Amino acid sequence: MGYQGKIPDESVCRMTDEVLDELLNAIEPKNIYMRFACNVSDEKVSLYDMEYKKKYLTATSRDLSVNMAQCQQAVLMAATLGIGADKLLNRYELINMAKASIAQACGAECIEAYCNIIQEEIREWAGKEKMYLRPRFSAGYGDLGLDTQRDIFNVLECTKRIGLTLTQSVLMYPTKSVTAFIGLTTNARGCYSRNADKCAACDNKGCEFRND
Amino acid sequence: MPINVPRAIIRGVNLEMIEGLGKQLLFFDGGMGTLLQARGLQAGEIPETWNILHPEKIKQIHREYLLAGCDIVKANTFGANCFKCKGTDYDVDTLVSAGIKLVKEAISDVKADASQEKRKIYTALDIGSLGKLLKPLGEIEFSAAYDAFKEIVISGDKAGADLILLETLSDSYEIKAAVLAAKENSSLPVIVTMIFDENGKLLTGGDVASITAMLEGLGADAIGFNCGLGPKQMEKLLPELTACCSIPIVINPNAGLPAVVNGKTVYNVEPPEFAQSVKRLVEMGASVVGGCCGTTPAHIEALVKACKGMPVIQASDKNLTVVSSYNHAVYFSERPLIIGERINPTGKSKFKQALREHDMEYIYKEGLSQEENGAHILDVNVGLPEIDEPGLMEEAVMGIQAIIDLPLQIDTSNTEAMERGLRCYNGKPMLNSVNGKRESMESVFPIAKKYGAVVVCLCLDENGIPETVDGRIAIAEKIIRTAQEYGIPKKNLVMDALVLTISTGQDNAKITLDTLRRIRYELGLHTVLGVSNISFGLPERSRINTAFFTMAMNNGLSAGIVNPLSEPMMSAYYSFNALIGVDEQCMEYIEKCSQSSEKTKKTDNSGAAGTADNAMTLEDAIVKGLSESAYQATTALLEQNTESLTIINDKLIPALDIVGKGFEEKRMFLPQLLMSADAAKASFEAIKNTLSKQGRQSKSKAKIVIATVKGDIHDIGKNIVKTLLENYGFDMLDLGKDVPPETILAAVKEHNVKLVGLSALMTTTVVSMEETIKLIRENVPDCKVMVGGAVLTQEYADMIGADFYSKDAMGSVRYANELYEAGKI
Repeated sequence: MGYQGKIPDESVCRMTDEVLDELLNAIEPKNIYMRFACNVSDEKVSLYDMEYKKKYLTATSRDLSVNMAQCQQAVLMAATLGIGADKLLNRYELINMAKASIAQACGAECIEAYCNIIQEEIREWAGKEKMYLRPRFSAGYGDLGLDTQRDIFNVLECTKRIGLTLTQSVLMYPTKSVTAFIGLTTNARGCYSRNADKCAACDNKGCEFRND
Repeated sequence: MPINVPRAIIRGVNLEMIEGLGKQLLFFDGGMGTLLQARGLQAGEIPETWNILHPEKIKQIHREYLLAGCDIVKANTFGANCFKCKGTDYDVDTLVSAGIKLVKEAISDVKADASQEKRKIYTALDIGSLGKLLKPLGEIEFSAAYDAFKEIVISGDKAGADLILLETLSDSYEIKAAVLAAKENSSLPVIVTMIFDENGKLLTGGDVASITAMLEGLGADAIGFNCGLGPKQMEKLLPELTACCSIPIVINPNAGLPAVVNGKTVYNVEPPEFAQSVKRLVEMGASVVGGCCGTTPAHIEALVKACKGMPVIQASDKNLTVVSSYNHAVYFSERPLIIGERINPTGKSKFKQALREHDMEYIYKEGLSQEENGAHILDVNVGLPEIDEPGLMEEAVMGIQAIIDLPLQIDTSNTEAMERGLRCYNGKPMLNSVNGKRESMESVFPIAKKYGAVVVCLCLDENGIPETVDGRIAIAEKIIRTAQEYGIPKKNLVMDALVLTISTGQDNAKITLDTLRRIRYELGLHTVLGVSNISFGLPERSRINTAFFTMAMNNGLSAGIVNPLSEPMMSAYYSFNALIGVDEQCMEYIEKCSQSSEKTKKTDNSGAAGTADNAMTLEDAIVKGLSESAYQATTALLEQNTESLTIINDKLIPALDIVGKGFEEKRMFLPQLLMSADAAKASFEAIKNTLSKQGRQSKSKAKIVIATVKGDIHDIGKNIVKTLLENYGFDMLDLGKDVPPETILAAVKEHNVKLVGLSALMTTTVVSMEETIKLIRENVPDCKVMVGGAVLTQEYADMIGADFYSKDAMGSVRYANELYEAGKI
């Protein structure tokens, strides 16, 4: 909400609690992820089945390649809070813009938190195989084009499985949704931490919401 | 003639299909996708192109399923829609026709064997989701979805399909578009199967009861589940469906829940287990079964072996009177319902003004407040002689259902408005009303039948409102008989016994109550009344209304059309429910009591109970962001005859400036800025109310067009800017999100606007912003353009030719004010 670490005043805190209550009631989080073998070159990441017999997807991106350097496997994930969050936002925008802005921020935070939960689940089973997780990397970060979304949607069957849809301009509905690559590596370097990574991959140094 | 003659009569070829459906066990085939992948289909490749590229492989799969014993074969047409065809070399018609042809060929191949010759086998035109979310929450128009389905239906019908299977759908609105397209463009039977999650919800939130109500209303021939779940999970959901469904049930489960093993999605339920699980579904009430993802000819063979010849439970009419919204169903029962009456201009000058000014926000807020106060259904009436009622009805229904979860009652006497409202409605609607006049029944019943509406029937006819109970009952009986001729069953009629005020006839209440009782308990229909009519012309109307409401409920009233904001009426309602024993342990009554005492304590969003200071100045209220106090302070100033302009310029704007400055200096933050904006809005509301009472209107500074550009769906930033500019007296024309350049230009020209605000949140959509600016420059050179949004910078804004880059919402206010003061807008 742009507070940059300052504590909001009491009325904003109280309103945030109210919004969060309603938001948590409105959402129906769903996720899907799949595990692949991968091949990472200088500017390309390709995902295969575990026997490297069938190629599922190739993403052209130097930044993703750097993120996934030395990864032998990858997880492709999609998560959404569902359409209830959008509906609540629409409602707030009509009756209470302050709540709408707070709900927007809470929604973004919720989907991040939900992705973190999924990531923990992945980390648990990957850990058993002595694999470590690279930070989540989504289409639109760095030089990874949004067009990659079309392939991700195809591979994960996002619409059928979790009700996520893609517009002509490659944006997602419901809006509070995330898709991401997570590199898996036997090399412990660069285990994920939270938003710092997302901000590190972003060029907008003047952003008010920047976290590093 | 009634428009819905059973299709079997129209088209003899399907007679047998319809007769067999639901009476004997029929088998669908199984999955296609996994089999194609095993035969070399690549990731990202559109499976339907194989109808042209590898027809033999497709036909072979059909043959295998036929030999496994299925009765209905799904053509390989699941994703053959205009959106998915775009990336291929083929059009919809080519892929669909080829898909149907391959099934037909496979059937004749199999029937060439003498032992198979007599089998009855049917070709299903298989239609899946378009993969797009519909407006207003999504991207494409309802009519665009309808057109996409229509194209497939026409091709499939022409190619000779025997039935239409709409499957793997999970959005009730998309389902409605698909069913209408199927029914209006073919005479084939329509089967609908949907994905529910383990909690019994569609991915867009609908439950089993709501979608069943809608689909039975629309005339689907059979409905059920497919995909998403395995047979075991569907077993848990099936009782929900059998409890409310009056038509045959179809179930095509996956071979278990999908699991990812070594990067591949696999389904683990083997054929013998699958067959046994599905057998239980047949015992529970499914009468058409088959498979979806992960099932193979081996699964279907095992299934046919295990179940062939089993008797089916024939679907019985559950005789439910039900309406639904996109996410829940509302049943008429012993427990009366509240139909909110406030979205109606009759006798309300402010509402009329809102309609004339196209102030949709006003209408939506009326809906929200009724929902909050306990309404179960909302009546929607937007009829005024001087407005385009059909257009406004459609807009109101679309807008209300985007933010409110309640079922709607479309209330109009204009048949075009009726049809438009019912068509775009996402659920099983209620329709107000038909009466006993021949002309009324002839125009209303066909529409009601087509959209499956529950119709409010008024006990009056060409001779007016009968003064006797017998007279009204005779009309009710006439309406029931005529409705049946149109194929509308009694359960879809709700009778209005009619209320005339007791101020003009002292027996009026008694006649209504006696009629009510006889309709409910002799004719066996549910009932509805516009309760408050009873007190027209009397003082202290709520006293009479409340007493009459209780009496009516006690005499068989199923639903009262009342004002849910009236505390006495709602008290009577909750008390009645507690007294007749339909409110378990009086829980609802107790809850409402505690809510209302809380309400009296809490006077403002300051939340500090009891401390709201009536003497708070308007400036303070706005700076602190207290809407209620701002409203009260403004009202107090107006009562002291302070001119509205003085209030705005001397109090409201300076207070907003304080907050705006605090925001720019980072002492205050966005939520506070917006709380103040909301408070200012409340203050304007008070001014507007007073002016409208005096028959005057508030003046605005200048009109500004604002929009999120094409391709971009983020609009909170735009909405924040809009709110603030409104606060500062600008008249905002909000075009919404994902707005094409041409639409923006047209609005600029039509309203002669000199300032446009554009928002874009993604680097990819800044291109649309540039296009829009270019188009405006070429056509209206003196129109200024200000831009904003997360990815924009001053450099970027300069590069795309904007006049002004606003780094935050206050920047746009400053710029607009400068232009206004310089006389440029």
